[in-house]
Amino acid sequence: MQKRRDRCLSFFLLPEDRIASIRKTNVTFGRKDMESYPRLAFRMEESRLLSFSRLLQQGVTIRCRVGCSVSAFLREELHAKDATIEKIQSIMLDGKPVDNLEAAYVSDGSTIALSAAMPGLVGATLRRGGAYASFRTAITYHEGADIRRSGEGFIRIKLFNLLMAELGPDLLQRGFFLTSKEFIGFIAGLSHDFWQGCRQVTLNSEPIDPLKLRDPAWLFHKEQVFLIVFLG
Amino acid sequence: MDKILRIDVGADGGPKATTVAVGEYAGLGGRALTSAIVSKEVPPLCHPLGGENKLVIAPGLLSGSAGSMSGRISVGCKSPLTGGIKESNSGGQPSQVLARLGYNAIVLEGNPKDNTLYKVFINKDGVKITPDNSLRMLPNYDLIAKMKAEYGDKIACISIGPAGEMKMCAASVAFTDMELRPTRHAGRGGVGAVMGAKNIKVIVLDDSGMPIRAPKDPQKFQDANKRFVNGLKSHPVTGQGLPAYGTNVLTNILNEVGGYPTYNFKQGRFDGAAKISGETQAETETKRGGLATHGCHRGCVIQCSGVYHDKDGHYLTKQPEYETVWAHGGNCGISDLDKIAMLDFLDDNYGIDTIEMGATIAVAMEAGLAKFGDADAAIQLVHEVGKGSHLGRILGNGAAMTGKAFGVERVPVVKGQAMPAYDPRAVQGIGVTYATSPMGADHTAGYAVAQNVLKVGGDVNALKPEGQVELSRNLQIATAAIDSTGMCLFIAFAVLDQPETFQALLDMLNAFYGLNLTGDGVTELGKKVLSMERDFNARAGFTPQHDRLPSYFKSEKFAPHNVTFGVKDEDLDKVFNW
Ligand code: SF4
Repeated sequence: MQKRRDRCLSFFLLPEDRIASIRKTNVTFGRKDMESYPRLAFRMEESRLLSFSRLLQQGVTIRCRVGCSVSAFLREELHAKDATIEKIQSIMLDGKPVDNLEAAYVSDGSTIALSAAMPGLVGATLRRGGAYASFRTAITYHEGADIRRSGEGFIRIKLFNLLMAELGPDLLQRGFFLTSKEFIGFIAGLSHDFWQGCRQVTLNSEPIDPLKLRDPAWLFHKEQVFLIVFLG
Repeated sequence: MDKILRIDVGADGGPKATTVAVGEYAGLGGRALTSAIVSKEVPPLCHPLGGENKLVIAPGLLSGSAGSMSGRISVGCKSPLTGGIKESNSGGQPSQVLARLGYNAIVLEGNPKDNTLYKVFINKDGVKITPDNSLRMLPNYDLIAKMKAEYGDKIACISIGPAGEMKMCAASVAFTDMELRPTRHAGRGGVGAVMGAKNIKVIVLDDSGMPIRAPKDPQKFQDANKRFVNGLKSHPVTGQGLPAYGTNVLTNILNEVGGYPTYNFKQGRFDGAAKISGETQAETETKRGGLATHGCHRGCVIQCSGVYHDKDGHYLTKQPEYETVWAHGGNCGISDLDKIAMLDFLDDNYGIDTIEMGATIAVAMEAGLAKFGDADAAIQLVHEVGKGSHLGRILGNGAAMTGKAFGVERVPVVKGQAMPAYDPRAVQGIGVTYATSPMGADHTAGYAVAQNVLKVGGDVNALKPEGQVELSRNLQIATAAIDSTGMCLFIAFAVLDQPETFQALLDMLNAFYGLNLTGDGVTELGKKVLSMERDFNARAGFTPQHDRLPSYFKSEKFAPHNVTFGVKDEDLDKVFNW
């Protein structure tokens, strides 16, 4: 049990099916990671998950398998079902609209942003494989030659609009990295509502007074924070 | 709906109303009607604020009926901002009410004899025009409160604020919403200045006692309307995205692809985007007791609008639209939603186009009048416009004027009108529309229906560079047609993807008027409207050289993708070859 705890922050607190699902992703956090990053866990009422929406829009970083197609990434890392993938009408890989999910590859350091169908001519223009794709030829994603190196890496994910509710809860419960600057900004922007719905906060598995989070001293000049959310 | 109300503001003894048969303009509505009247009756070389110009206000073909989404209203004239023909449209209640009163259009014409300000009241018994100088320089909210006290709350109003009275080129015409607030605006092109030049402050409409407009074939109409509504509700954009987040849902995605003009079109990404996105806005509205889903007029089933409350839970403004949030937000480096909402309120209250005003403030910031990101300074600049100070008079006349006054080279305008919220270097197809639309840089000019639904212009190979030109042409044709029906342009998303929803729209028009309109007929209507508008502009002195973006869009690389506008001039000149 101790070993498992070391492998993933508060992993033991997850329900069995979530543990199984995360194991399937083949992601392991090495001991070095665990030692170098402060690990924060929030236990939240489900109704307060909306408080993370700005974070999801700005983007969070996960460690996962890279060198796979966008399609494989969505299915295997984000556990997106066919219906959700159908709903994802605009996919931006490193800021470039993707038309073919099988032909675009995520690599270490990529940013992937997901949106449902958007209004307006420009919304239609940014849809994958849409009738107006030629309107944005100048910025469309084209696969480079040698970036399909597979292995583990870090991917930044941004979820917009309807996809926040669809994929957000899973992503939050999987856990993600924020830079300390992002984390400080996140904490500063939290409302009274959030704290009312927050049942417990732990830092490196030890309970911590949430008020202390406002003082960034506990970050000890670390560049990254690992954050995970539990429901209930 | 079979008559036009003409008000001669220069008649002896004060403005005189005459009701005439619709005559040669029969069968036209919305943009088709405003552009037909302007192109036929207004001398193209006239001064936009002079007696020869006319202001035409026309509901759509299905306005006043039980047809969903049919409440858009068009305002047309020769534009004081662009010098060309203008059609600017708006939501709100007046379209439905004016149509039920039986009017295809109101035309304000002539040259006022003196400075007296007038209000016009129209109900089932006729038209009453009264001088009322107590309304002078009243902002829109105060004006409407006064009208409500005088005429009751069953009215709908069309009005101008101080900017219109001061004949500023960024002045809008305001239309009241379901709550009788002046929140909907025909903003673009300075149409409010033309209403101001006619000395008409407000038109109050009361349709009490008037029946809903009846279709020729009620059963077929009802059936088509039902299919149309189902189509809108089942489409992910009109059924989910727009109702949940409004148009501001575009902020994140535009920002992500680097097409979100930031700091006066200097770069394509804004760090504060998530703070002002539609998602954040909807969450804020809901939390404060406002509304994230709301219609701008009765009969709207998409409901892309909302109600924005301040921190204390009091009404501040309607939900600011994407273009407004962008213009006053990212384009000025401002990431405070409350301040942006305040700017939206002030624009509505003074009667100014939010896009033109935001673009103007960004140019002023580039000139050093304020710092990018300084929301309080931006608010102060809008107050200057409302007050009509010397500085305010410059700003209220738009981005081009402000650029000239302060020696700024980077002024994002086409034909004198500020570009909206999509950078034409990242999304080059929209740059084709900005450049070539007879309206000046306009995001709605080529907004609408896919050529694969309407089959306009034949099959397009979207992969060829010239595909962008062909698509822009097809889109402009289709948009002109939709604008003429008076349907909200946001129906385009469902019609775009669902041919059966487009067919339902055609069936509604056919059942209502006893017509046999086909997709081809709609295309012809769109072409006809564009041809009239292009012809007017040519007679007003416009040449192909006016169909160009400012040259810095071709030379200044736009981060993060470092792109420039690459569509050739000779291709732009082919847009209207049909
Ligand atoms: S969709 Fe939006 S703009 Fe169109 S009619 Fe409804 S509320 Fe008005």
